[in-house]
Amino acid sequence: MPVSLVVGTPKGAAVLNSKDGRSWDEDFVLRGWPCTASARDDQGRVYVAVNSPNYGVAIFVSDDLAEWKQLASAPRYRPEDRGNAEHHRIVSQMDFTGMLKGGGRFVDQIWTLHFAHGALYAGVSEAGLFVSRDRGESWQPIDGFNNHPTRDSWTPGFGGLGAHTILSDAKNPNRMWVGVSAAGLFRSDDGGKTWNPKNKGVNPAVDSAPASTGQCIHHAAHDPADANIIFRQEHRGVHRSDDGGDTWQVIEDGLPVAELSDGHRCSFGFPMVMDRRSKSVFVVPLDGDNFRFPRGGQLAVYRSDDGRHWRARTKGLPENCYAGVLRGAMAADQNGGIYFGTTSGSIYGSHDLGESWRELASGLPRVMSVEVCAA
Amino acid sequence: MQLPPVLRSVMGGERWLEAQGNSIAAVLADLARRHPALGLHFFDEQGAIRRNIVFLHDGEMVRAKDAGARRIGPDDEIVLTNALAGG
Repeated sequence: MPVSLVVGTPKGAAVLNSKDGRSWDEDFVLRGWPCTASARDDQGRVYVAVNSPNYGVAIFVSDDLAEWKQLASAPRYRPEDRGNAEHHRIVSQMDFTGMLKGGGRFVDQIWTLHFAHGALYAGVSEAGLFVSRDRGESWQPIDGFNNHPTRDSWTPGFGGLGAHTILSDAKNPNRMWVGVSAAGLFRSDDGGKTWNPKNKGVNPAVDSAPASTGQCIHHAAHDPADANIIFRQEHRGVHRSDDGGDTWQVIEDGLPVAELSDGHRCSFGFPMVMDRRSKSVFVVPLDGDNFRFPRGGQLAVYRSDDGRHWRARTKGLPENCYAGVLRGAMAADQNGGIYFGTTSGSIYGSHDLGESWRELASGLPRVMSVEVCAA
Repeated sequence: MQLPPVLRSVMGGERWLEAQGNSIAAVLADLARRHPALGLHFFDEQGAIRRNIVFLHDGEMVRAKDAGARRIGPDDEIVLTNALAGG
């Protein structure tokens, strides 16, 4: 079965194509653009978000993964929107000309693109949600989220204040979820007009953070056709909800548990994907937030088949790997294929739900996102 | 105006663009009007020229904050580049 992957890196995007899942050819496109997220719509158009510290955020599109055109519009805040000072402090490392000193709110990165019910959504930092209903030609802010009543309590994570995860309900276009580091998961039941924090049962990122909006969610995954069951990778562990996020339970049986910098013990990692046909969920644990590499150097993907217990899948993965896997750098093709990229520039793939792995590409820059864009 | 390599991909590979205006800022505004995709990269959400880009004009480096005051002639060439921080 033909598969194409779009791999976002700080230097451009690698497009990997395979007709049979075994041999792959590779092209490197959008050269010079940091590519941070990608998605495909229901007509097969692929969108890749880019951000440049010099030239800002934009979106490129392609209908064939070969020719790319930049859209004339991108998610942008209004001039009157005010920024988060702590987020500015974190992201100002590249702001040596002082753009952020005026206190405005800027879209400095598109963390995720998500297509659902005919609309394209963008989750961005500084944390916000935008929607396009014309295939990216124009964008509108979702003010109910961007100006949430609790926004003043939102604290950035290590990488800033970012809305990095979007989930949707295939049976209900009015219901969706957005994950923010480090404010937690929010759900709307009215098409984005209002949002409620959905973090009950999840420990805040630090003990001093707000109980309801202080969670450092790293990623989440579910089957949109069975949307109530949601899996969640937090800074503080792996969780499951059976009620759309109203309540959460820790599900770490079989996962490696690490000690975090504050002494808390839990399973730490970033990416999380689900294969919808088998309902299997995949994570890539790292050895805590101090080290952020695989325990003992053994790169391992853990799989849960029942949504509660986990087992390591390491066949074909390196034993001497001290690179990580970022939250957006894993994807499932929904035909048994699982793919992920490391911060050391390798792409690994499995065609048997993680039972065995093979390195598909190497020598890439740090992999920031992996998306299956044709299958 | 000469575009840096990365922005040429926005304009189908074009290196030089003709524009109208009697200042660098006016030239950018003219280009943004005619090529909105390029305008995203010139101006931030506050409507200001992105501070991380600079211009080379008549042998001098011109910062974004001075682009409005920098007068240019009808046949002048401007090079748009990014602020350099060494390394």
